[in-house]
Amino acid sequence: MSGATSILVDNSALSKIDRSLHRLEEFFALIGGIAVFSLMFLAVVSVTGRHFFNSPLPGYVDWIEQAMPLIAFIGIAYCQRLGGHIRMDILIGRLKGRPLWLAEVVSCVVMLILMMLMVWGSYAHFERSFDFASPMWSRDSTLDIRLPIWPAKLLAPLAFSVLCLRLVLQIWGYGAALIRGTNDPVAVPMIEDASTVAAREAETVSGFDDDEKGSNK
Amino acid sequence: MSSIDIGIAVTIILLIMVMIGMRVAFAAALAGLIGLVWIFWAKKGMAGDQFFWALTVAVKTAGQVPHSKISSQALSLIPTFILIGYLAYYAGLTKALFEAAKRWVGWLPGGLAVSTVFATAGFAAVSGASVATSAVFARVAIPEMLAVGYDKRFAAGVVAAAGTLASLIPPSAILVIYAIIVEQDVGALLLAGFLPGAFSAVIYGGLVIGLAMTFKNFGPPVGGFTWVQRFKSLPGAFPIFFVIAIIIFFVYNPFGGDAWGTPTEGGALGAFVVFLMALYRGMRWKELKSALLETAKLSVMIFTIIWGVLIYVRFLGFADLPGAFSEWIGSLEQSPMLTLIIILLAYAVLGMFMDAIGMLLLTLPVVYPAVMALNGGLDVSAADSAFGMSGVGCAIWFGIIVVKMAELCLITPPIGLNCFVVAGVRPDITVQQVFKGATPFFIADALTIAGLIAWPGIVLYLPELLLGKS
Amino acid sequence: ATEWNVSVWGKRRAFTENVEKIAELVSAKTNGEFTLNISYGGLSKAKENLDGISIGAFEMAQFCAGYHEDKNPSITVLELPFLGVDSLEKEVQVSQAVYSHPAVVADLARWNATLLMPTPMPQYNIVGVGDAPKSLAAFDGLTVRATGGIGAAMSTLGAIPTSVPAAETRQAMDSGVVKAVSFAPHAHMSFGTVENAKWWTTNLNPGTVNCPVVVNTDALAALTDKERDALLGSVDEALAFYIDYYNNQTMAKWGPLLDSKGVERITYDEATLASFREKVAGPAASAWVEANNARGLPAQELLDLVQSEIAK
Ligand code: NA
Ligand code: NA
Repeated sequence: MSGATSILVDNSALSKIDRSLHRLEEFFALIGGIAVFSLMFLAVVSVTGRHFFNSPLPGYVDWIEQAMPLIAFIGIAYCQRLGGHIRMDILIGRLKGRPLWLAEVVSCVVMLILMMLMVWGSYAHFERSFDFASPMWSRDSTLDIRLPIWPAKLLAPLAFSVLCLRLVLQIWGYGAALIRGTNDPVAVPMIEDASTVAAREAETVSGFDDDEKGSNK
Repeated sequence: MSSIDIGIAVTIILLIMVMIGMRVAFAAALAGLIGLVWIFWAKKGMAGDQFFWALTVAVKTAGQVPHSKISSQALSLIPTFILIGYLAYYAGLTKALFEAAKRWVGWLPGGLAVSTVFATAGFAAVSGASVATSAVFARVAIPEMLAVGYDKRFAAGVVAAAGTLASLIPPSAILVIYAIIVEQDVGALLLAGFLPGAFSAVIYGGLVIGLAMTFKNFGPPVGGFTWVQRFKSLPGAFPIFFVIAIIIFFVYNPFGGDAWGTPTEGGALGAFVVFLMALYRGMRWKELKSALLETAKLSVMIFTIIWGVLIYVRFLGFADLPGAFSEWIGSLEQSPMLTLIIILLAYAVLGMFMDAIGMLLLTLPVVYPAVMALNGGLDVSAADSAFGMSGVGCAIWFGIIVVKMAELCLITPPIGLNCFVVAGVRPDITVQQVFKGATPFFIADALTIAGLIAWPGIVLYLPELLLGKS
Repeated sequence: ATEWNVSVWGKRRAFTENVEKIAELVSAKTNGEFTLNISYGGLSKAKENLDGISIGAFEMAQFCAGYHEDKNPSITVLELPFLGVDSLEKEVQVSQAVYSHPAVVADLARWNATLLMPTPMPQYNIVGVGDAPKSLAAFDGLTVRATGGIGAAMSTLGAIPTSVPAAETRQAMDSGVVKAVSFAPHAHMSFGTVENAKWWTTNLNPGTVNCPVVVNTDALAALTDKERDALLGSVDEALAFYIDYYNNQTMAKWGPLLDSKGVERITYDEATLASFREKVAGPAASAWVEANNARGLPAQELLDLVQSEIAK
């Protein structure tokens, strides 16, 4: 299974666009992370309110439901850029050079078609809950405190559109590698063997221990 | 073609896409979408002028799934549990736990390895991710074991194996995912994980002691700690006990009366305590930001698989494949227990090549109803059932066993990810060596699973006692 | 042969017997030429059944108006508190009158949906844990699972309506997220809220939830005359079967179940109830009329229709 990978960088237009888009993706992913963080505080407020002030937080469930799409969708392109969506790379991992880039291009094209259809479908879902003529433009709202749901529903097509952009870039990146026959394409995640992936994983979770060791010396 | 034929055909397409390396979430979503188009088009007799209609209905049906299925309170536990895990590293809990375990049980035969098992089990109570748990303990425990003369294969193997406890002992993202897919109470599943996790840890510990007593030069005990030193090691590990207590109190109140809230709130409160501890230990914005980004990335990965698979499940609902599969399994002329064991062996094979979450999400929609049917249905009473437990009990029991199966696959070749992680952390140890060192634990896991099947009470005791769920 | 998919949720229970019965009748009347495949949750989430109908993913569905007032504002008039409906037959009569009003037909037509029949339910009452609210003042600060008009009625007493999916109410009660749950008796049994309950209000009767069965308009138009007659002609019989089942099967189990669980029955005196009604009913009705006039519905006309049908 593949996790995070390194992405090569150079001065080409492709690499520049890749890094600009990545800044946007990282910003989105951070919003997702902050949403998780807010859930934590929301629970603290809700529990203390209920137990110590006999006043439960009205609409607690409503706010969680509104936050979930933020967590679930908004980082989807960030994850794809880093090769974080899992797959079985036991077969594809054996390919090298042009056959590998061909396989990656095909896989990205299929994903792009799927995600364009998903943008359509999730936008239609948003549209059914949106109505300019209604109060708060809402044709569907949460149960307790009546928050309009359309902004949360809009997040899906929005995040999926960014993923489509990312896929176009990856098709470009793999496509260029396919044509040139290069072994180190820029702007796309590379398949790495399990031990490289593992070393990286270990690094992300134990950097802090090292800092600490350093300061003790 | 009947809708069941379409169901089978699309399932085969899905398996092919997954095997040739398409990302699991998108392969499942695409298979579901293709299936929906096929079903709707077949309904109109596959007439050429009806294809666009079928495509539109399928796309709009699939387009509902991500938002509709994701915005639920219960699912918010998953990112919370992931966040707790990342914060725990910054709270310095790994070293504190290992130090405490060393002082309390280091005097046993194979003391440092036993300490590793119990420290990891303790860390599992704040971490929901097996792979990451192995990675951190590889850094903390292996050097100490090597320093006193342990065989490096064994030192690496014990870390790889003990890491798998993280998904059984709550908090566990994978148990939450199971609960949601099969529509069972999340709290009951989390409670159910405690004893099997502890049982598994005790079997690991016993195995280590047995090996240490059998083989000379295995690794010396580390003793000589005074009781004062022992008690002094506890405060560093305090947040662990606090988090365990919070999660228990938010599922069930041991003092009687109402629980303090939902598991969702309990998880979030646990994360808050660990967050405060990490702040105290010097975590600042730089570390917090990287924890948040990692949490966001892992969450979005899991949620993408969830909605992708649920599009496929929505298609299965239209094709009624799970119903047909259950009927077929139920009609087999062999004992239900034999069928169950065959299903578990199939998981063992599949798990060698697949990620645990992807594997469970892809298979459960079809396998779970079949297992429930084997036992006698969702509403069966313990007396009338095949496995001697009620429908709800069977759902919980099967969940724990299947998660333990998925964990076992983390230490089996060829893709035992925990072993790769340990080898990755220690350039001086090869993956083959880690696999070799983990082999005894593979046998211990097989025994654990046999134990859980023979004595379902290990799984069901807590949920029955505390929630009345059986 | 015509095959319709029907989306309902939960498991088979009193609440779904009108759908089960109509499927049986339609198949019998057409010699199996027209069948309804009922799916319990496989085709859609309960809150998205109207979306599924409008897409055309399935041809028939059940939903409750209070799950999404904005999607079907016109029928929420039937969920107003203290309307005074006192039997399932009356609930059917009032619902059907409202369902055939042109403004209601147009409201559902936005979803390409045609209203087929109601799923009548008795008055909701409240099951709870902790201290029983012997007076209305005791509802102050109580967290209660109540939707729509019932939720509005409860909040005038200072209670805090908290939304919990029906399937999770038992867990929410056990964990203290809500102290009380308002349901019709069949749902209290189906969702297990009585298992650990301490008390039950026998006659608070704040109102009920309106849960119609709808069909996709295009699919209805595409039926042959014989099929359409079989479907529409089976509504009365399905409803009669449902009412009989509810009154004689479900309600017969309810009293003994309360006894076996040791649930305390709380009965309010008429003066208390009258003061509750007075405090809630009038203001809720006028607030509803105002809000729905703003949406362009003939709100007062719908309310008058309901009240005149009840008076019949
Ligand atoms: Na854990
Ligand atoms: Na493996």
